[in-house]
Amino acid sequence: MSEDKISVAASPVTAAPQKHRDPLALIVRFQSLIGLVLVAIGGIIFSPRRHGEILFLNPDNIANIVRAVSETGIIAIGMTFVIITAGIDLSVGAVLGLSSVVTASMMISGGFGLIPTILAVLALGIVFGAIQGTISTRFRLEPFIVTLAGLQAARGLALVVSGNQYINISYGDGPGLAPPVFAVLGERLFNNTVPVATLVFIVFAAIATIVLNTTRFGRYVFAVGGNERAARISGVPVSMVKISVYAITGFAAALAGIVHAGQFNFGSANDGMGYELTAIAAVVIGGTSLFGGAGSMVGTVAGTIMLGALANILQLNNITPAMQLLATAAIIVLAAVLQSLVRRREGLGR
Amino acid sequence: MSAPLLVMTGAVKRFGGVQALRGVDFDLKAGEIHALLGENGAGKSTLMNLLSGVYMPDEGTIEIDGKPVRFNNPREAQAAGIATIFQELDLVPSLDVAANLFLGRELMRPGGFLDVPAMRREAKKRLEAIEIAIDPGAMVADLSIGQRQVVAIVKALSYASRVLIMDEPTAALTVGEVERLFDIMRKLAATGVGIVYISHRLEEVPGIADRVTVMRDGRVAGITEPHAPQAELVRLLVGRPLDELYPQRSKAAGKPLLSLRDASFRLARDSAGWQAPIGVSLDVHEGEIVGLAGIMGAGRTELLSALYGTGLSGRWEGEVAISGRPVKLDSISAARHAGIAFVTDDRRGSGLMLRMAVGLNLVMSVIRRISPAGLMSPSRQAEAVKQSFGQFDIRPKNPDIAVGALSGGNQQKVVLAKEILGNPRLLLLDEPTRGVDVGAKGEIYARLRALAAQGLGILVASSEMPELIGLCDRIVVLRQGRNVAEFMGGVDEHTVLAAANGREA
Repeated sequence: MSEDKISVAASPVTAAPQKHRDPLALIVRFQSLIGLVLVAIGGIIFSPRRHGEILFLNPDNIANIVRAVSETGIIAIGMTFVIITAGIDLSVGAVLGLSSVVTASMMISGGFGLIPTILAVLALGIVFGAIQGTISTRFRLEPFIVTLAGLQAARGLALVVSGNQYINISYGDGPGLAPPVFAVLGERLFNNTVPVATLVFIVFAAIATIVLNTTRFGRYVFAVGGNERAARISGVPVSMVKISVYAITGFAAALAGIVHAGQFNFGSANDGMGYELTAIAAVVIGGTSLFGGAGSMVGTVAGTIMLGALANILQLNNITPAMQLLATAAIIVLAAVLQSLVRRREGLGR
Repeated sequence: MSAPLLVMTGAVKRFGGVQALRGVDFDLKAGEIHALLGENGAGKSTLMNLLSGVYMPDEGTIEIDGKPVRFNNPREAQAAGIATIFQELDLVPSLDVAANLFLGRELMRPGGFLDVPAMRREAKKRLEAIEIAIDPGAMVADLSIGQRQVVAIVKALSYASRVLIMDEPTAALTVGEVERLFDIMRKLAATGVGIVYISHRLEEVPGIADRVTVMRDGRVAGITEPHAPQAELVRLLVGRPLDELYPQRSKAAGKPLLSLRDASFRLARDSAGWQAPIGVSLDVHEGEIVGLAGIMGAGRTELLSALYGTGLSGRWEGEVAISGRPVKLDSISAARHAGIAFVTDDRRGSGLMLRMAVGLNLVMSVIRRISPAGLMSPSRQAEAVKQSFGQFDIRPKNPDIAVGALSGGNQQKVVLAKEILGNPRLLLLDEPTRGVDVGAKGEIYARLRALAAQGLGILVASSEMPELIGLCDRIVVLRQGRNVAEFMGGVDEHTVLAAANGREA
């Protein structure tokens, strides 16, 4: 037996094993990146031009795309953890709304400083998510139901805190005013090119990628989604992992809520509606399986930007929002069909 | 017996480059029960799929009543009178028996309404025709596996009544249910139905078959009498004699490892059908392989899962000790801390992450060890994977393919290798070779024996008596949750069976 032939990819683990000879599997593995490239090419071709300049590639336009997707992107990154464990979190959009309200009211009416406010809101998100995870594991409830209730609860809390009013954020020193530095979330850095919101998204994505692919916790996440019972028998602390991933989505939603408040200078209980679905779409387009056990953070980022770029092209061409919805629908179906084809080819699905 | 009802001549079937059947002749007479044996991959399923119209042969002919036939799909085979009952019964658990029997061919009243009373009446008549007392209004979900099997047979016979193909029908049945199934098969045969009976349980063959065809490597290895000695059947199946299947026993066992003295597992909530261990006393020594025998429901699986903390919640009473020290085995982490590892009888359901790579599955129980400071170490992972591939001859030798794409035998090797990586002191095995072909069985037995020689204690539950007798140093017989007898390995099968059933030998 020649054991030296056995090599293990030293690269970070992507749970779906690759079959190098199967082109379809390769396409699915990189589907979101391929999709992103195709959308970009389409954007260049179909972009309106002004004085010969391709508007789609205009730096301001690119900055707009990546800024517009940063909030759903942050949420989608958290969602990727949950979906890899074969779970789902419907509460994230509502938690974003709640967080934006709490952020605004803590600084404006509460008189709290920037750092205490941010820490408190992030902690709120973590606790909210952990409670959902605990209820789901302790009482063996479907996360769909628990987080659907969580969605209602977060919206309700947000309405209570805000009194169903916009809480406007004005800047300055003194009571009733937020520290001016908070407004940086709506600005651009590096010679007015890179939106700060996008930076938050990218940094969070980088950290999440490392956590998912190189840490013990990341491996546990894949294990729980791959086969929960087998993971339990192998000594994986399944309940801890599940509670943690919902704490992560809660954290991500809270972070997105802070960014939201900073970008738009108000907190609103009704903001973030439907973000959970956009985030889930980005995750699925990114190649993460709703069955759990397989997924990629890079895919989620690419899927997020791709959806944003697509919306941008359609807007530039003055195509109605209705068409945007239809195009998104088509892409989600295409991504899911491709995954299903690969599963069938591997003889693992029906 | 009459002229053959069904004759297949020179059947060849290729899948891509793989030749699944290399010229197979097979025939079935009316009223005959013809057993078809073969390891996984020998070609049994392909042969049956040709007869039931799932595939068409590349070469060769099929004749029924001397007339050549050609099935383009399963419907045409059914029309010719051939019914197949697969391992996964195609019944809808949430519908009642009558609704299942008439699924897709419901009896209707004028106006498009279901005629439920008529279907129940007709279902009752059909069940009574083979003297089976199952209420046509009962939910299939509430039936035992054996009863579901009967419903599936009645359903199959209602649209095809000349040839019945049964694929491992006894795999999930209790001893009593197997006997009842055999009764039904005999009754059907007496009415002129020809039955092809696929099984891997050699010991069942003499009791039921009129004739035996053994397949190996896509060919017919031999056609024999059902009362041929088992050694002869195994030689045909594997192509080598039986005594090579089981390794030499070890000479001496070491110090006591697991000791149970009058140990009972008290359930937190009573649960029907879960036979908790009651007053069990047994020892597993270092380097020893101890078998757990018993009929279905005797509590073998329950004893193992109670020790490992995966069963129902409850607590141990009496003495439970590892290496002479009392331990509290109330959770998986407690068991693992005590050096216990467990391999379930359901590798697809609770042993493996099927879609994930072989390598990732292998290191699953040692994630903590290969992630110093919480970070996965690729080199330690590669080392662990290499160790497993060195210990178990897992094929193909590629840790990057999905474990679900491996054969049953290789999947089982992965589950075993995974637990061995954790360096357990005591290994609990539940049905370690279920659905594993004879070749891989031999490798697994040899591996287990080698591990025992290094001091590992193994407690193995199995429903395959020859496996326990051939592999184990000692066999403990359970009945209704209690240990009722103990034998040395190599004991006569009937002695063990008698103890398991509570009879004198």
